[in-house]
Amino acid sequence: MAAASPAMHQRVFGADFQSPVLLASGTCGYGQEFAGLIPLDELGGLVTKAVSVEPRGGNSPHRIAETPGGMINAIGLENPGLKAFVSDKLPWLRDNLRRAHVLVNVVGWAVDDYAAVVRGLDGKDGFLGFEINVSCPNVKDGALFGTEMRELARLVTALRASTDRPLVVKLTPTVPDVGVAARVCEEAGADGVSAINTFPGMVVDIARRVPVLGNVSGGVSGPAILPMGVHATWRASRSCRLPVMGIGGIRTASEALQYILAGACLVQIGTASFVDPAAAISVQEGIAEHLAANGEDRLEQLVGTLRAAPEGVDPDSTVAG
Amino acid sequence: MEFACPDIAASAHPGQFVMLGLGLETPASWLVPRPFSISWTSPGGVVGILLRTYGEGTLALSRLEVGREALLVGPLGRSFETESRTIECVAGGVGLAPFIFLASREASRGRRLQLLYGERDAEAVFDPALIRRLTGHEPKLFTEDGGAGTRGRVTAGLDPESSALVLACGPTPMLQAVAAFARRHGRDLQLSVEEHMGCGTGACQGCVVRGADGRWLKACVEGSVFDARELDLGG
Repeated sequence: MAAASPAMHQRVFGADFQSPVLLASGTCGYGQEFAGLIPLDELGGLVTKAVSVEPRGGNSPHRIAETPGGMINAIGLENPGLKAFVSDKLPWLRDNLRRAHVLVNVVGWAVDDYAAVVRGLDGKDGFLGFEINVSCPNVKDGALFGTEMRELARLVTALRASTDRPLVVKLTPTVPDVGVAARVCEEAGADGVSAINTFPGMVVDIARRVPVLGNVSGGVSGPAILPMGVHATWRASRSCRLPVMGIGGIRTASEALQYILAGACLVQIGTASFVDPAAAISVQEGIAEHLAANGEDRLEQLVGTLRAAPEGVDPDSTVAG
Repeated sequence: MEFACPDIAASAHPGQFVMLGLGLETPASWLVPRPFSISWTSPGGVVGILLRTYGEGTLALSRLEVGREALLVGPLGRSFETESRTIECVAGGVGLAPFIFLASREASRGRRLQLLYGERDAEAVFDPALIRRLTGHEPKLFTEDGGAGTRGRVTAGLDPESSALVLACGPTPMLQAVAAFARRHGRDLQLSVEEHMGCGTGACQGCVVRGADGRWLKACVEGSVFDARELDLGG
């Protein structure tokens, strides 16, 4: 079995990951919804759907729609809230995932919201650490935590003071340079970054002259964002020393390996799990096969080994055309 | 269309659905699988679906060659709960799909149901001879333009004198009209609802419908069949 391959093991966030492949937040519920479909415990892990202090009902339908090369969603961060997560969701994760690691995705609309979730979970069993969703509007001024570097630093600093567990920040793509945001997270005490969250977008129903999504706009995911995710991972991994989790549009092992060469030590599978619930399993099997076929005995020796750009090309340039 | 999947065929109940796509072979241009009501099963392990082409994805599925592999996840969702009652089905358009399965099941148990089937025009009508062959029932056909069957809306076919359990599947305005009829005549009603779906298993929370208490209900796992009293259909 691929997951048991010693070449795939890595030590990240102070823990042994049997595989570099995790399920992305929002695409695997709280684990239980996926348990009947694939052997979850053979994966590197999963990131739960977002948890906020209070329960959230979420947006009006439609919440999802198809887009060229992927899909768009505006679920609205529907979740049962911290208390119900602890009583109804976390015990299942604790009892059923022994080898796969769990990161709890945390959302908030003020620093205190995030901190309350982190502190409320800190002493509990059943998960390794936190992934912080900073693509939420701050109630103070409506700007996303992830786009205002001062707010991002303030948030990460506060959360760092609230937990010793691994603290990973899921970066938002709507910044001039994801690398700068990654460095801000590092300096504020984060243990890792996920690159990258969905891209804002919208779809119009031309017959009814309305947005297709109840929320008007949403986040675009799927193969369409694969190159942007790889680029974000590259920028993040070149800009800080933190472990990077690569995410965006991965369907195959070769796509996951693009992220790994660009600097990701772990990758997350999202939309592809809808296309085939076993996508993450086949990705990790494909990575193990790639290692074996190329005589690589450690995955970690591949991480970030993208060869330098040809002479005369600035590898940090983001200019197109 | 028919797919050989014995596990799904053996455990499916009328009202349940499958998520259908080509797995990781699906072209990126229509990536996400589609939910389809199960329309028939056979003892040999076949699962049949009723396919109407809307866009690229359904067109590609309709052109699948015999022998091609597809990915079906299912059976998913809650089924109709009919408990040997007399049944009156109201189908709008491709909402006919779950009733083909139900009607054939009832026929195989020697029971009859009323199958009201409406379409916008004659061109859209699924072949009545095929429906007869699949279900052992004669559908009572309505078209809005009168091009086939009785002219008018399918809801006109509902029998106000009956006390049968009403089941409905179709566009929202039709469901609203059936719900109004059921309220007026004190009839029990179960609805199979449609919404855009991502995973079909409750993980993505993408396919919600409004519950009577204001909460969002997941069409995939809390439905797709609901008792009408559980829903706020608006309108």
